[in-house]
Amino acid sequence: MRFPAVATVKLVVGTLPSWRRHIPTALLIAALAVLALALSGPRTTVSTPIGSASIVLVTDHSGSMEATDVLPSRLDAAQRAAHTFVAQLPSAARVGVVGFSTQPDTVQAPVTDRAPVLSAIDSQSASGGTDTGDALALAMDLLRQGAAHGPSAIVLLSDGAANLGRDPIAVAGTAGQQRIPIYTVALGSQDTTIPDPTGFGAPIPVPPDPALLQRIADASHARAFTAQDQGRLNGIYKQLGGQLGSVRHTHEVTASFALAALALLIGAAVAALRWSSGRIP
Amino acid sequence: MSRVALAPPVARQGPGALPNEVIDALDLGVARRAMRALPGAHAMPRAGAGTELAQLRVYQPGDDVRHLDPAATARTGVPHVRLHVPERALTTWVLVDVSPSMAFGTAERLKADVAEGAALVIGRLAVRRGGGLAAATFGAGPAHVLRPRSSRAALAGLSRLVGEGVAPDGHSEPDALARCLLRVASVARLPGLVAIISDFRDQQAWLRPLGVLRARHSVLAIEVGDPRERELPAVGRLALIDPETGQRVEVDTSRASVRERFAALERERGAELARELRRLRVDHVELSTGGDWLLELGKRLR
Repeated sequence: MRFPAVATVKLVVGTLPSWRRHIPTALLIAALAVLALALSGPRTTVSTPIGSASIVLVTDHSGSMEATDVLPSRLDAAQRAAHTFVAQLPSAARVGVVGFSTQPDTVQAPVTDRAPVLSAIDSQSASGGTDTGDALALAMDLLRQGAAHGPSAIVLLSDGAANLGRDPIAVAGTAGQQRIPIYTVALGSQDTTIPDPTGFGAPIPVPPDPALLQRIADASHARAFTAQDQGRLNGIYKQLGGQLGSVRHTHEVTASFALAALALLIGAAVAALRWSSGRIP
Repeated sequence: MSRVALAPPVARQGPGALPNEVIDALDLGVARRAMRALPGAHAMPRAGAGTELAQLRVYQPGDDVRHLDPAATARTGVPHVRLHVPERALTTWVLVDVSPSMAFGTAERLKADVAEGAALVIGRLAVRRGGGLAAATFGAGPAHVLRPRSSRAALAGLSRLVGEGVAPDGHSEPDALARCLLRVASVARLPGLVAIISDFRDQQAWLRPLGVLRARHSVLAIEVGDPRERELPAVGRLALIDPETGQRVEVDTSRASVRERFAALERERGAELARELRRLRVDHVELSTGGDWLLELGKRLR
């Protein structure tokens, strides 16, 4: 419509920014895009916790665990990391502990109550040799007792070669057949020594044995980790805790995409009526 | 700049009836305004005796003996002379706006029709008593100027000039009025009356040339407007286009705040125009396309 006083009208209307006119079109295009995505059948992977998982923490507390290459000492770091691990697990998962040095000595069957588990972890002290194989066998027995209830796993933390007892590789092979993964964590750095326990003599080197632990993990179809400081150890345990207690499965989310497209369409209509000239572009 | 082809606007109504009696009533008002242009009472070429009595005084040696008043002389025994207001033959200039914004009107007629009527009225009054009439249009390319002529020839030229119409849409000239005023100031040597008939919209920087013109002439500014230009009606969403610049704007007139703000801005614009014209001591008449413009013109010029 012809109108000579358009300059005045522009002053009146001037505050409405011109980008607002494009909002309805933008929303419409967004709605179409979301609709097209919805048609492609989107799926998402969600982790849901399994209440019935059983996990046994097998922790080495041999004499070499008092080395201080992992501050404050390897054993302290391991205990703290174990606390982190237990905290990460879903509350319905069952946790057990096997602490070993010359032989497995601290045993806690998998239970849901965390207090006995934590006290079992804290009660260990560093002395003795490393009998990995027997500890693993004991852990498998504990799991077999409660086997009817869902998936199981073993987390082995050790810092040295197995120098006593059964061959841990063979035990790991059996675990692999029974579908019990043994995740291993090799703790410590290569050039560490501890002072001679008798007080006389040279310091004793206590390097970790990541190769052995890798073989154990491979035999049982699980993963091996190495840690040289508290932070990394915590990180590994956190990851394991989150992973072991839950299972990932995918499900379709087409419905929510379609709803989003509908909301955008309604938004486009409302915006067109309000800001545009009443035409839906 | 090339000349733009003028055409009478599509909705042209014509200025309406121009009865002679009404025009006669306007005569004195316009003449008085024109007289104000003249400095002092010194004689000028082509000055003639008027009919209006200025004073009746005692005869001084040197007065024209033809002006002796017999009745006063007989009454008092002393010779008296009768002196009249000298009437000069003035040239009246009529400047008419033919920009595209004049072809707009929502009441009885277009602004261009009112402008045409006002120009014809001023023209008819100007040619009385031997005055000269000149005209110019602005807003459509270079100003079309009619040089001063007298009586019927001038009137015929003027009515042909304003009958040509207005410029087509899209022709925008913000300095048209300023240039026309400067042109008239350079051409019009003798003091006279200059009547500017326009809507005074979309024009810039014309106050200074107007001041230059006012220094010598008596100026009458006739502002033609439309009621809808002052107030927007509540008719919902409108898409408005400026006829001169082609600018487009969308406005929701159903909102009272929008209408009020528009009316306030227009009032402000009109008040500022009136203030500036008053400052230059230019007579300001506002005509509207609704109502009887001739009546309004008569009222204001009386």
